[in-house]
Amino acid sequence: MPTIDSGDTAWVMMSAALVMLMTPGLALFYGGLVRRKNVLSTIMHSFFILGLVSVTWVLWGYTLAFGPDTGLGLIGGLDWLALEGVTGEPSDVYATTVPHLAFMAFQMMFAIITPALISGAFAERKRFKAFVLFAVAWSTFVYAPIAHWVWSPDGWLFGLGVLDFAGGTVVHLSSGIAALVAALFIGRRTGLIEPATEPHDVPMTVLGAGLLWFGWFGFNAGSAVGANGLAATAFVTTNTAAAMAAITWVTISWLHKGTPSVLGAAIGAVAGLVAITPAAGFVTPAASILIGLGVGIVCYGAAQLRLRARVDDALDVFAVHGVGGAFGALATGIFATAAVGGVDGALAGNGGQLVIQLIGVAVVAVYSAIVTGAILFLVNLATPIRVTGDAEEAGLDLAQHGEVAYQP
Amino acid sequence: MVIAALVSFAILLIAWVVAPSGASVATPDAAQPGMDAQPARVAASL
Repeated sequence: MPTIDSGDTAWVMMSAALVMLMTPGLALFYGGLVRRKNVLSTIMHSFFILGLVSVTWVLWGYTLAFGPDTGLGLIGGLDWLALEGVTGEPSDVYATTVPHLAFMAFQMMFAIITPALISGAFAERKRFKAFVLFAVAWSTFVYAPIAHWVWSPDGWLFGLGVLDFAGGTVVHLSSGIAALVAALFIGRRTGLIEPATEPHDVPMTVLGAGLLWFGWFGFNAGSAVGANGLAATAFVTTNTAAAMAAITWVTISWLHKGTPSVLGAAIGAVAGLVAITPAAGFVTPAASILIGLGVGIVCYGAAQLRLRARVDDALDVFAVHGVGGAFGALATGIFATAAVGGVDGALAGNGGQLVIQLIGVAVVAVYSAIVTGAILFLVNLATPIRVTGDAEEAGLDLAQHGEVAYQP
Repeated sequence: MVIAALVSFAILLIAWVVAPSGASVATPDAAQPGMDAQPARVAASL
C-alpha cells in the first residue's frame, strides 16, 4: 500500500513550482529576442498558455496522458476526467510516495511549457486567436499521446524501453519538430535585416535564461519524484551540462565571429539543459560534460544551418529544442549506466539501447510533424494563422493586443 | 460537477472563436527596411 513520504512530497511540490517559473522565464527569454513592437505578444503567448493548459490539463489532459490505458498503449482513458479519482492519496502507479495530486501538478507544468516553446518559431506574425486554438489542439492531440507513450507504464514506447528521464522526447523533440513545421507553414517574417533576427533586449533574454536554468532543477531533479540520491544526480548533471554547453557555445561563436556572444551564453545554456533532460537520471556527471560539449557544437551548427536554409524559425526553437532534444535522447542511449539509473547504454555494452532511443526519436518526430501540420491546416481554415501585412508592420503588441510595452 | 467544468471551458472556447481577431491599428507612415516599425502613436511622440 503506497504511503506518503513528507520529504518526497515537499520536493515534488517544490519542483512543480520551479517548473512553473520556467514558463514566465521562457516568456522573458523569447521576449528579449524579438523586436520591441512584438515583445508583449511574445510574452503573452507563454503567459496565456500558463492559464490555458493549466485548465485543459485538469479537465482532460492528465487523464489522456497518464490515465489508465485504453488498451493499445496509445492513450489514457477518461477515468480521471476533471481529476475525478485523483486525490491527496498516492497513486498505485506513479510516484507512490507523494499525493497523486502533487504528481499531477508536477506533470501539469511540463504540459504547460511545451506548447509555449513552439510559440517562438512563428513569433512576430501569428494571430493570437489562432495560437490559442492551436495550443488547445496541440496539447491534446500531440503532447498527451506522446507523454502516454513514453511515461505511462502501459505506453508502447515505455514498453519498448525508450529512456526519457524528464522530457527530451516528450517535451523538447516534440515541440522542436512542431516549431519547424509551424515556421514552414506560416512563412518568413517581413522587414527583417537578413539573415538575423533583431533581439531588442538581450538582458531580458539572459534573465529569462537564468530563470529557465533555475527552474530546470525542478524539471530534471524533480523527475526523480523523490528527495533522494537520484534527484541529487539529476541536479548535478543538469547544472554541469548547462554550464558546459554555455561555455562551449560562447567559445564557438568567439572563434566563428570574433566576439564572445552574451546571447550565445544564454542560448548555449538552454541547449545544454535541453540535451541533459532525457539523460539526467541515467548518466554520470562526467558524461554530462560530454553531453554539454556535444550539444553546444551540434546546436550551434544547427542554428547556422537554419539561417542558411532561410527557414524563419524566429527564435531557433528547432535548432535548440528539436536538435538538442534528439541529441540528448541519443546521448542517453550512449552514456546511460546502470550504476545511476538502472540501465546501461552503448558505452557500457548495451548497444541495443541506442537503437531503441533512435526508434523513439524517429517515432516522436514523425508523429509530431504530421499531427502538427494537420492542426495548423485546420486552425488556418477556422481563422488565418498569420496576421495581415499591416498588422505585422505595426507590431503585434498594438495590432493584436492594443497595448505597447514601452512608453517613450 | 465535471460536466459543469467542461461546459464552462467550452463557453470560453466558443468565445475565443467568435472574439475579434485584433485591434484596429494605424500603420506607421514609413519604416526603414530592417528597422522596427514603431506603433503610430508611439512613433508620433518620439
